[in-house]
Amino acid sequence: MKRITIDPITRLEGHGKITIFLKDDGSVANVYFQVPELRGFEKFSEGRPAEDMPQITQRICGVCPEAHHMAATKALDDLFHVEPTSTARKLRELLYSAFYVTDHTTHFYILGAPDFVMGPDAHPAERNILGVIGKVGLELGGAVINTRKQNHWIIQTVGGRPIHPCFGLPGGVSRAINEEERAKIEEIAKQSVEFGKVSLKVFDDVVLKNKAYLDMVLSDTFTQKSYNMGLVDRNNKVNFYDGKVRVVGPDGKELCKYAPHEYLEHIAERVEPWTYLKFPYLKKVGWKGFVDGKDSGVYRATPLSRLNAADGMATPLAQEAYEKMYSTLGGKPANYTLATHWARLVELLYAAERLLELSRDPEITSPNIRNIPTAKPDEGVGIVEAPRGTLTHHYITDEKGVIKKCNLIVGTTNNYAPLFMSIKKAAEDLIKPGVEITEGLLNRIEMAWRPYDPCLSCATHALPGQLPLEVTIFDAQGNEVKKLSQGI
Amino acid sequence: MKTLVLGMGNSILSDDGVGIHVAHKVAHQLNNPQVTVSETNTTGLGLLDSIVGYDKVIIIDAIQTEKGEAGQVYRMSTEDFSLTKHLSSPHQINLATALELGKMLNLAMPKEITVFAVEAKDIVSFSEKCTPEVDKAIPEAVRMVLEGLVG
Repeated sequence: MKRITIDPITRLEGHGKITIFLKDDGSVANVYFQVPELRGFEKFSEGRPAEDMPQITQRICGVCPEAHHMAATKALDDLFHVEPTSTARKLRELLYSAFYVTDHTTHFYILGAPDFVMGPDAHPAERNILGVIGKVGLELGGAVINTRKQNHWIIQTVGGRPIHPCFGLPGGVSRAINEEERAKIEEIAKQSVEFGKVSLKVFDDVVLKNKAYLDMVLSDTFTQKSYNMGLVDRNNKVNFYDGKVRVVGPDGKELCKYAPHEYLEHIAERVEPWTYLKFPYLKKVGWKGFVDGKDSGVYRATPLSRLNAADGMATPLAQEAYEKMYSTLGGKPANYTLATHWARLVELLYAAERLLELSRDPEITSPNIRNIPTAKPDEGVGIVEAPRGTLTHHYITDEKGVIKKCNLIVGTTNNYAPLFMSIKKAAEDLIKPGVEITEGLLNRIEMAWRPYDPCLSCATHALPGQLPLEVTIFDAQGNEVKKLSQGI
Repeated sequence: MKTLVLGMGNSILSDDGVGIHVAHKVAHQLNNPQVTVSETNTTGLGLLDSIVGYDKVIIIDAIQTEKGEAGQVYRMSTEDFSLTKHLSSPHQINLATALELGKMLNLAMPKEITVFAVEAKDIVSFSEKCTPEVDKAIPEAVRMVLEGLVG
């Protein structure tokens, strides 16, 4: 096999790269994975008042600003040693639930559904939301747009501004809601619950009733037995907004459960020579390389991991969907990467039900929305579940609350190692000597990473508005065999 | 004619924020009740939500092309994006697909969409300022947008 060295310092010009090297016989020798990383956030935040962080950090990401806003707000509570009022907590979780409805809806119908509804071998021209709506019907297409629109109205109303909420404060939130707003939120929540049920039915009709798809979901190619991370409440049920971080092994046993300020005791970062990405792993287990299993510190933080790490869902319809999922998949934990799309729909239903619950809470229109902090700030950690994984904000300030240091672990960062492993395994299993490398085959390799919905270069993209991605295959002599690219 | 001028971008990511800077300057120079100037950092379905209901939309954003020089300003229409219409995305749908989707669902789509794009140098470093090359291009982009509003 010809040795090909990759310069790890090579800049990627803003797109992601999967590079596959083949052996002489045409099987896979090695796979490399590079993504663009945003630079200099720590320096950018130094010298700024910590109270600005909910506004600043929400601009990092054009897809999940609310997640950063919420993690930053909780870091401020911790930093200023103040508890939010009961109503403020509920308003935060209400906004956050509406956000989850929009985000999971977007992801499933744009990313997850095309492969399953149209099929992995369908032409790229059809393998997108247009094809999906063509198949499932205009009414459902309209419901996708409408559900997002309505829930964005909730975020804007409760959060005080479109797209970028000006909402989170240490000890509370910036505005209360009135009865008229509350009633409309309740109506939207009811419709969202129905939409959540319909989406699960789509999955049922299209995926579960199709043996070829179900086989693919359960196949070894798309199986990975890593640890699972997610926030859980006091009863070990999934909660996106608050709780402790729980980690459960591929064997179903709890490894640890920690409070936000303990995160550095549990997570460390691995540096590899061939990439500038750092790979978080579980300290207690240790780094054993890019392998799965309970002896490897690699962990996943995805919708599926959240469900694996918890003992159930806190709302009844979602709990029913959760039970059905695990009974189909053969029990807990489920290590099937493609089932992440299913878990995402269970979470969508939970978010809608939770939104409905909170909209009916007797305290939700109370004007008591803030506890003013009195203690001196020093250090604070805030953790929420971003749709893409556990999100950690950590600030160290002077006694005036001006940032000296900050550390962020965003959702997808948790998943760098397992993401890479999923791609590598799919490539190794699917690219075999004598097998023609088709678009459909390369698409299946991409299907290994789509469930993670990776948040790479997570800001608004330059036109035409998508993350450019390139998959290149080289033969043993270093000649390019095939290249698949999108948005480039 | 109800018009929207939409600055797209990330205002804390160097040149990625150029669309927003241009939109702000356009807003300062406008006094027309028929024209709304707005900003967004979201694309795909979010963008679709923003443009529905307007007759004419002008979008301003950063772009990186293979041979472009930082600071070049391009004027494009939706035909220029039709080639990318059907590519699947790891994250969101692109502009062309979003427009197609809007038509498919009979939403009130704008009759005219123009995109002004500024060639960016750095879109991966955190900064509230653009690079000097792109900063220099902002007045030209503003002028082109204002002309585009009239023409």
